Amino acid sequence: MSAAPLPVETNDTVLGVRPRFAVEPETLDEAAEAMRALAMDRLAVVFVGGGTDLELGAVPARLDAVLRTRRLDRIREHAPSDQIVAVGAGMTLAELQRRLAPHRQRLAIDPPFPERATLGGIVAANAFGPRRTRYGPVRDLVIGITVVRADGVVARGGGKVVKNVAGFDLPRLLCGSLGTLGLVAEVVFRLHPLPEASATAILEGLSATDVQETLPALREIAVEPTALAALGTNDGFTVAIRFEGFAPGVKDQVERTLARAGRGACVEGAEEAAFWARHDAIRLGGAVRARAAFAPAALARALEGLRPLREALAGGEIAVHPALGIALLAGEAADAQAAAAGVASARAALAPLGNGTLVLAAAPPELRARTDPWGPPPDGIEVMRRLKRELDPEARLAPGRFVGGI
Amino acid sequence: MNDVAGRMAAVVGPGNVITDAAELLVYEADGLTHGRTRPAVVVLPASTEEVVRIVGIAREAGIPLVPRGAGTGLSGGARPVVGGAVVSLARMRRILEVDLANGWVRVEPGVINLDVTRAVSGAGMYYAPDPSSQGVCSIGGNVAENSGGAHCLKYGFTTNHILAARVVLSDGAVVDLGGPAADAPGYDLLAALVGSEGLLGIVTEVTLRLLRKPEITRTFFATFPSTDEAGNAVSGIIAAGILPAAIEMMDRLAIVAAKAATGVDWPDVGAALLMDADGPRAEVEHVAARAVEIARASGALEVRVPRDEAERALMWKGRKSAFAAVGRISPSYLVEDGVIPRSEIARVLREIERMANEVGLRVANVFHAGDGNLHPLVLYDARNPGEEERAERLGGEILRLCIRSGGSITGEHGVGAEKARYMAEQFGKDDLETMARVRCAFDGIALMNPGKVFPTPRLCGERPGPYRPHPAEVAGLAERW
Repeated sequence: MSAAPLPVETNDTVLGVRPRFAVEPETLDEAAEAMRALAMDRLAVVFVGGGTDLELGAVPARLDAVLRTRRLDRIREHAPSDQIVAVGAGMTLAELQRRLAPHRQRLAIDPPFPERATLGGIVAANAFGPRRTRYGPVRDLVIGITVVRADGVVARGGGKVVKNVAGFDLPRLLCGSLGTLGLVAEVVFRLHPLPEASATAILEGLSATDVQETLPALREIAVEPTALAALGTNDGFTVAIRFEGFAPGVKDQVERTLARAGRGACVEGAEEAAFWARHDAIRLGGAVRARAAFAPAALARALEGLRPLREALAGGEIAVHPALGIALLAGEAADAQAAAAGVASARAALAPLGNGTLVLAAAPPELRARTDPWGPPPDGIEVMRRLKRELDPEARLAPGRFVGGI
Repeated sequence: MNDVAGRMAAVVGPGNVITDAAELLVYEADGLTHGRTRPAVVVLPASTEEVVRIVGIAREAGIPLVPRGAGTGLSGGARPVVGGAVVSLARMRRILEVDLANGWVRVEPGVINLDVTRAVSGAGMYYAPDPSSQGVCSIGGNVAENSGGAHCLKYGFTTNHILAARVVLSDGAVVDLGGPAADAPGYDLLAALVGSEGLLGIVTEVTLRLLRKPEITRTFFATFPSTDEAGNAVSGIIAAGILPAAIEMMDRLAIVAAKAATGVDWPDVGAALLMDADGPRAEVEHVAARAVEIARASGALEVRVPRDEAERALMWKGRKSAFAAVGRISPSYLVEDGVIPRSEIARVLREIERMANEVGLRVANVFHAGDGNLHPLVLYDARNPGEEERAERLGGEILRLCIRSGGSITGEHGVGAEKARYMAEQFGKDDLETMARVRCAFDGIALMNPGKVFPTPRLCGERPGPYRPHPAEVAGLAERW
């Protein structure tokens, strides 16, 4: 039976903590059975998909088992004309996109490592990429969810229609919960058409202030990019503005964007793909990865506040999403103390900018020892603790991994 | 109760507490006017601090609270609980902060939806969710119901436009949820709050996202012999990769009603579509032309394009006033709100017609076709004995049809008091029990809007106990690890 315990593999280790065994259910029933069995023995479990975001969060307080989702990888329903798909949590994003492509559809998210990142993991970690500019975070595309609770009970929320306000929004609530509220076993997503055309306007050598002014300028000329990102270079920033849609609209918007900027170039095809791959690489590099959020209009001030951290990270790189008010930093923590001080000063600088925050998406033990990867607990922490107790009263699901020690 | 009213009056001032039977009348129902109940007291606080104190008084007295916005809800979500207090947020209607650079606005819950857009339209911005009642409904109510509107096909619902909220919980805690900066660490409690129909707490401040007005909007109105062809046109437009800003359908009865009420010169046809495409000019011109081609290919009898903004506004007025317009062709009617997969529209409409014929009633349909959100209007005459009950039964059967078709009992009006009984048909026991646990995390004493949404109340802390496996299962599992 597939819910039987399996030997531990290298990838099952969560931030250095090795479980005693693994389970790998193949069906929802098997997943529920495995969760009931874990409940019976009061064992602590972490859910593992492609392992691309396992460094997010704190070190688990205890860990008996990992539940691998990779065999929960079937499409239960794809209704092309309704633009929805119901898919097992263990399918990778790239595989889903390959299945959707013949129908000229896609799931409009683009987090890193699509060949490895699973849909359940993306939902649990709230992973995202530059297309969030247009399509929103993954929670905006999740319309239904099937969760296996800590006690093995299977619960569903949402449904398979895009518009639905019946009951509390469990699908959105589960997004970003990092496996601490339940096993995300199946997700129903809203799909979008594959665009007929794509082109990216690239502007080089911009200052932080120029980057901040990009969004107002795009608003002024009323174009609607699907992605907007700024990559830090030796020479300031390179800003990329991607347009996708019907060919006449894409062409017109790129032209107007370049005309407004009075500089830059348009890339398409392989050259465009290569550019965005480079952007991905920045998101992924380094033993330390930080995600800063701030009011978009305070972008230049936010970057100023991030400077000490950036300087503390050897080989530090930065990518900014101006429309989202998010900056991603990556590098090596040569000096953990300096990095921790950089994190602290960044948090202090970001807090006044629309309640901005900084989360460490990856950090070596020396840095974790000096700072909480989540930062100070948010205002709603007491409600969050109660929610955790309601759904996982024995604190067995990824214990200690989440905000405030949840 | 006099004591409670007195204590509340000490908080908000005697003029802002209502106990007089005649004055209470208006609070006996919301936009769903049948099924009225009388509250013991209505209180109108003016600040977060006053709400906290009102909640404290109610908690001590063990009196349930029903939050109320503008009272335009269509599912009885603001219907009073007998012996309870209604907390009207109508006095909290200040726009607290407009931040155009960030595209944010912070408002009190009583602010009217359209007033947000009015406050920022000079700067070319607007607030996207546009329920048909947007001229009178409040932001607090929109948050409670996760309100939609015709244009949420492209722009999403209220939940996609709320960045932060301040909420008063039943234990008196004031909690700030969300950002407004992105990705506040922790559970997305804001996502649970939006659409929670007043069961989780009383919202006293909301930060909304503003959008830039689209460069252009292209609208067309197309008529069809029947809803079959109109449904095919919708499917064809979506299949062509077009995401309209809105695409609305009306059937014959709805068209007749809209003509009678607003004077639009629409022909007498089986169905009509009204579509908006908006965004950058070149994209929109292309998309609109393509959509018109598809409508014609699907069997459109006539396609009209408005000559100017006034004509466009009249077309939309015809659509947006359709609910009220039905009053011109029927003494009474029920407004339903079900969702089906878009591809099922033609089949479900035929089925609704068959069901209506069977019980001798008429149903007018005017709805958001792009996302399969039906609004069947069940026409009846309350003066005919038994007809109202028949209409209600038919409405219920239509909701069941939506559930069977893979849809939902509500797309934007909420569950409220009216549809709680259907929740157990759309969701399983475990699904509802899980949602109830979410409620317990916010409101462990069910002080807020009890009796709504959930068909059977459940006390917090009530636990079936830790999982108790069947002995045979223990035998089989215990040796595994």
